[in-house]
Amino acid sequence: MMEFVLFLGLCFVLGGLGVASNPSPYYGVMGLVVAAVAGCGWLVSLGVSFVSLVLVMVYLGGMLVVFVYSVSLAADPYPESWVDWGVVGYGFGMGLVVMVGLVVGGVLGMVMGEGVLGSEELLSVRLDFSGVAVFYSYGVGLLLIGGWGLLLTLFVVLELVRGLSRGAIRAV
Amino acid sequence: MNPQAKLVFIASLLLGSTITISSNHWIMAWTGLEINTLAILPLISKSHHPRAIEAATKYFLTQAAASALVLFSSMTNAWHTGQWDITQLTHPMSCLILTSAIAMKLGLVPFHFWFPEVLQGSPLTTGLILSTAMKLPPLTLLFMTSHSLNPTLLVILAILSTALGGWMGLNQTQTRKILAFSSISHLGWMAIIITYNPKLTLLNFYLYALMTATVFMTLNSMKVLKLSTLMTAWTKAPSLSAILLLTLLSLAGLPPMTGFLPKWLIIQELTKQDMAPTATIISLLSLLGLFFYLRLAYCATITLPPHTTNHIKQWHINKPTNPLIAILASLSITLLPIAPMILTII
Repeated sequence: MMEFVLFLGLCFVLGGLGVASNPSPYYGVMGLVVAAVAGCGWLVSLGVSFVSLVLVMVYLGGMLVVFVYSVSLAADPYPESWVDWGVVGYGFGMGLVVMVGLVVGGVLGMVMGEGVLGSEELLSVRLDFSGVAVFYSYGVGLLLIGGWGLLLTLFVVLELVRGLSRGAIRAV
Repeated sequence: MNPQAKLVFIASLLLGSTITISSNHWIMAWTGLEINTLAILPLISKSHHPRAIEAATKYFLTQAAASALVLFSSMTNAWHTGQWDITQLTHPMSCLILTSAIAMKLGLVPFHFWFPEVLQGSPLTTGLILSTAMKLPPLTLLFMTSHSLNPTLLVILAILSTALGGWMGLNQTQTRKILAFSSISHLGWMAIIITYNPKLTLLNFYLYALMTATVFMTLNSMKVLKLSTLMTAWTKAPSLSAILLLTLLSLAGLPPMTGFLPKWLIIQELTKQDMAPTATIISLLSLLGLFFYLRLAYCATITLPPHTTNHIKQWHINKPTNPLIAILASLSITLLPIAPMILTII
């Protein structure tokens, strides 16, 4: 178990290295994903699995997704949409293949409810849950200041890239 | 810049500084430092000139790395001692990492390389904020942990800062870079005394902020960015150039001006701590700085009438001088006689 945690730490450092040495942002993001997943794994090894899940959701599922959407929109400003007939036919074909696979694999029977899972017991007081609760009650000052910091980051980035070709991100 | 955006950034600078100064938990101190770093970036890059963007980039990278080191030092201390109190930084490695983190934030040698270029890339008013207001939160953290820091390391950083601040300022013709090296030199004086008498560090900082605010505002009102402009700036406001002479000599630490007070008290305290050779070394290294202050004073004032010139004072005034310059200049020249009262204030 110890070796796995150390391996996660190594992955974290290598992911960071990948971000810093990226040839372009598209490949640098891969390093961010590796580093984030390794960090989440490390948090789970420390026992605070709730915080780990929050990190995955907000970082990978929120910020990274927004980044990927903006990058793909910048690369392809006029994408094909659902109403194009080629896409509809493609979607139907893929759905048929998925259904056949589910039936053959017997998964559909499991989903329909044959077995009963044993109830998992949760510890009555967990550090990470109660930590988040404190964040909204006694620690509301830090919540407000942290929220202001994040909003300020948005304003700063908007101000820095404002102006298209006359702004900061111009090709000089 | 958009006035509402400017309001948001200036308010965030005040908020961040206040959070760090008034905090007793390391996370709040770190949060304040990060808010400061973010909020000042658009102010540095306001003109969107490539040099300004480069200055903003360099500022962000160094300050972010230094904030990360602050966080590492506080976390190491929390791991070993179980508490996050700023005044209880007892683990020796945490103190070492914190000292280098604050040295990076302030611009002490050997982490000073960003400071002249950032100051050169930013407008004069933003340079003023960078040199005075942005130095207060890191100095406060150093003040609060001063009883557990390593004196030898700080004395070495201080002497190197005074030496390099003086030496590298000698070959400069751009006034903002000269002021950057002057700032590095003064930070050396502030750092040398912090483990022995932290109040003298704060006194030095307040008086330095007063004097450098005067110089920055004077240069901003005359729009002087290099020495050749300074030579003919007297035609716009001759009395301001004359006062600039006295203010620059005060900044250099010459008696009977205010700037002599912190140096005097620091030398006295070092002597009391049986460090007379250190006091001698740092005073001699300040002589290097005196040379470029004298050069600035020569360019501003010593070429004034009554000896022959080929300019006369301009008959028109574009905008009157800010009265605040008069107040700050008076204070930065004449505060030495009330030195005992100043000591009771800090």
